[in-house]
Amino acid sequence: MAAPLLDVQDLRTVFATKEGVVKAVDGVSFHLDAGETLGIVGESGCGKSVTAMSIMRLQRPGRVTGGKVLFKGRDLIQASEQEMREIRGKEISMIFQDPMTSFNPVFRTGWQVAEPLVLHKGLNRMKAMAEAVGLLGRVGIPAPAARARDYPHQFSGGMRQRAMIAMGLTTAPSVLIADEPTTALDVTIQAQILDLLRHVNKEFGTATILITHNLGVVAGMCERVMVMYAGKVVESGPTTDVFAHPKHPYTWSLLRSIPRLDDELHEPLRAIEGLPPSLVELPGGCAFHPRCSFMVDRCTKDIPSLNPVGETQLAACWVTQSGTELAHG
Amino acid sequence: MAEAARAHLKRAWTTSDPLLSARGLTVWFPVSSGLLQRTSAHVHAVDGVDLEIMQGETVGLVGESGCGKSTLGRTLIRLIDPTAGTIEFRGEDITHLRGEALRAKRREMAMIFQDPYSSLDPRQTVGDIIGEPIDIFGLAKGRERQDRIYELLGVVGMNPRFADRYPHEFSGGQRQRIGIARALAAEPSLIICDEPISALDVSIQAQIINLLERLQSKFELTYLFIAHDLSVVKHISDRVAVMYLGKIVETAPGRELYSHPRHPYTDSLLSAIPIPDPLVERGRERTILQGDVASPVNPPSGCRFRTRCPRAREQCADHEPPLDSFGPDHQAACFFPLD
Amino acid sequence: MDMPGGAFEGESHRPAQSYWNESWERLRANRIGVAAGVLLLVFALIALAAPLFSQFVTHFDPTRQHLLDNFRPPGRPYLLGTDELGRDTLTRLIYGGRVTLGVAFLTVALSLSLGSTVGLLAGYYGGWLDDVLMRIVDVFLAIPAIFLFILMSILFRPNAITLAAIIASVGWGGVARLVRGEVLSVKQRDFILAARTIGARDVRVIFRHLLPNVLPVLIVAASLGVGQIILIEAALDFLGLGIQPPTPSWGNMLTNAESYFFHSTWLVVFPGITIFLTVLASNIFGNAVRDAFDPRLK
Repeated sequence: MAAPLLDVQDLRTVFATKEGVVKAVDGVSFHLDAGETLGIVGESGCGKSVTAMSIMRLQRPGRVTGGKVLFKGRDLIQASEQEMREIRGKEISMIFQDPMTSFNPVFRTGWQVAEPLVLHKGLNRMKAMAEAVGLLGRVGIPAPAARARDYPHQFSGGMRQRAMIAMGLTTAPSVLIADEPTTALDVTIQAQILDLLRHVNKEFGTATILITHNLGVVAGMCERVMVMYAGKVVESGPTTDVFAHPKHPYTWSLLRSIPRLDDELHEPLRAIEGLPPSLVELPGGCAFHPRCSFMVDRCTKDIPSLNPVGETQLAACWVTQSGTELAHG
Repeated sequence: MAEAARAHLKRAWTTSDPLLSARGLTVWFPVSSGLLQRTSAHVHAVDGVDLEIMQGETVGLVGESGCGKSTLGRTLIRLIDPTAGTIEFRGEDITHLRGEALRAKRREMAMIFQDPYSSLDPRQTVGDIIGEPIDIFGLAKGRERQDRIYELLGVVGMNPRFADRYPHEFSGGQRQRIGIARALAAEPSLIICDEPISALDVSIQAQIINLLERLQSKFELTYLFIAHDLSVVKHISDRVAVMYLGKIVETAPGRELYSHPRHPYTDSLLSAIPIPDPLVERGRERTILQGDVASPVNPPSGCRFRTRCPRAREQCADHEPPLDSFGPDHQAACFFPLD
Repeated sequence: MDMPGGAFEGESHRPAQSYWNESWERLRANRIGVAAGVLLLVFALIALAAPLFSQFVTHFDPTRQHLLDNFRPPGRPYLLGTDELGRDTLTRLIYGGRVTLGVAFLTVALSLSLGSTVGLLAGYYGGWLDDVLMRIVDVFLAIPAIFLFILMSILFRPNAITLAAIIASVGWGGVARLVRGEVLSVKQRDFILAARTIGARDVRVIFRHLLPNVLPVLIVAASLGVGQIILIEAALDFLGLGIQPPTPSWGNMLTNAESYFFHSTWLVVFPGITIFLTVLASNIFGNAVRDAFDPRLK
């Protein structure tokens, strides 16, 4: 089996705050193979964005305090800033939730898409612009030559996101990290953008990490999924397996609490009680135990490690690791 | 089973006349430009909307950005003045009500806001925030007022001790509960819920939805539930109205909207909503729309959806489709509806 | 980026902390800011208690001349020396503080009252009222201050109170603009709409919701304003349009000493340093207050 394209091992990132040290990413490990789409799903504060930023070494004011990020065999955590600049935007690209703030409002959009080509590929301006226009067309922007001369504020939200995707693809990177790329968009535009990302993944062969809190998006887009809670990975595996039989109570409860469009009967939602934990005052043992309906004594004392549960999945839960099935909590 | 129980509870306080009804409701906002700031155009935020909300019902209002749903919600309770049309509350025309008469009506109509971080005054204690409607209408004083505030906190699932605290000490979900308690304080009959859970974490959303449903039974409330997430709206609503560029394009009971949508926009909206089930998601037939939503300043002639509609024909540009009936409580405005 | 600080959920076990308390705590943590504030307070108290100081500390009267003791350098019994008419510098500084600080605080009070009222009304109501009020503000801001000062001092004999009124008449426009801007920003927040939704009358919305949220900006403006006014007063004295001798003010003491700069440098140094320290303290304290109220830190 070929080595994974991106191999994150025990990544740890902390933030110093007035209330104490926040372990935003607390021992996160996962891998990404060439061409595949991995979803990282979780709620606000779970560490999914910080993980992505740490991979890109853009986590400041946080600090990476441990772990490795092996990209094509090289540890990015140890790389110099100069080396990272070579990689960012060229080999690993990132697109964000708010395309308005990712674009510089005083430069034309076409030029911003072309700039990485000039910087990384050494093309001259005219050639870079021509390629940029071509890319804008391929991401579905109509009349790309004309639109390339427009400024970012003249684009609608969906079009800007397309332009940002184009910007992320100019150098044909091996990895594309998309951090909540459709959260700020209307649902019909979201469908268009997700369609585009699927298309990009197929046509360009770019491995994609899709970060989102929307389980529906993950279900449709990602081959594998990783669920995060309070800075740790609590479950991972093939999307079909994780959704069909989740092996962590958080995943399990979350799936049961979301109203589904195709729900038949009307019953009260099975909400997860309680609140997400404060990252400064984490509960002892498993961070989810105060809200967990399957909790046993051990959960309050020992932090569960991520281990295989079932054939294809990993879960960080004492209860499921000991063989118990999750049903009717 | 559960459905029947709800229907029975609803009937206990339902009347045959609508609690709130709007006819031809239109809200246009002027757009000024040029050296002298003359009004050059108008934003057609809401354009000729008819809507009836029966007592005890939950009507869902769904649509994407720019469709006018928030404007409609606020106009219905007269936070915004309509440009044309009428609004009736309990049979009384409130369209042009002003001053004290309008304020008196405010007791009956409450609102819950989207952003839990800006909808509570950071300078007031939680108790004062919740107590303010009580003070404004002089409903209780002193000890009785305090008791009422504690009771309201309890009803929304918060510790009464929190009355002395300030909003910034609470999470988004808790702040939303405080906002709900404030909305209940003057004992309203109608609550406009303007995207009440969009800004909350997924695991908290279900808690708030359940709370709103419990409160509806307990206090015999009527809801207008505005949201862009059709999954949530379908779950909580009895009937759903779909808006596009200032018009209601389809209205139907939730389940029927999902199983038999008639308007092409409804169909594409349903098609676009991801379902958290990989097997279902990957097997779905998608109707993906081209292009962006047209501008509400210069809406397309005839049917406003025609510029993105896969079924559009010439007729659609010439005339605006009227709302046709497709069954009890099911209406759609389209010349070429889906079967 | 999703900052982990956003996950501060759960019960607070500390006692309730209002926004004012938190800001106060932040201010207290700023040592230099506190020192500056204390300095201002000390000066103000000394100025207030001027007669007591005169009686028990310096034993001199500010206008009493001791012609035989003129141009004395600092020493005994004239702790900071005397001027050309033998008047004790220290006593005059203390009494001068009364005048100068008095003018400063009064001016700030006047311009803040008028400016915030206009700003609140213009910002809250908008429309034609906003247009009219802001045009009036524009007019006042366009009048060259010097012209107004000259005019006023011809018409009235400037004492502390009229001087305060004159300076305030020039400055209130800036405050109005500032407050209006803040009101426009606060008005957008949902809790203002919520107040209308629950049936609050305009008066309640303005005084209970708008004003407390606009207050921080006013407090900062006031703190910084004190320093600005002192400098303006000194400049006016220098031009002969301010407080007239023999009443001492820091500004006119400085003006008075101009001719004797090489001869008796201390006559310039002491009022100069006093003004400098006070203005510096006002600026430092004003900035400290602004940082303490900074919503980003919430």
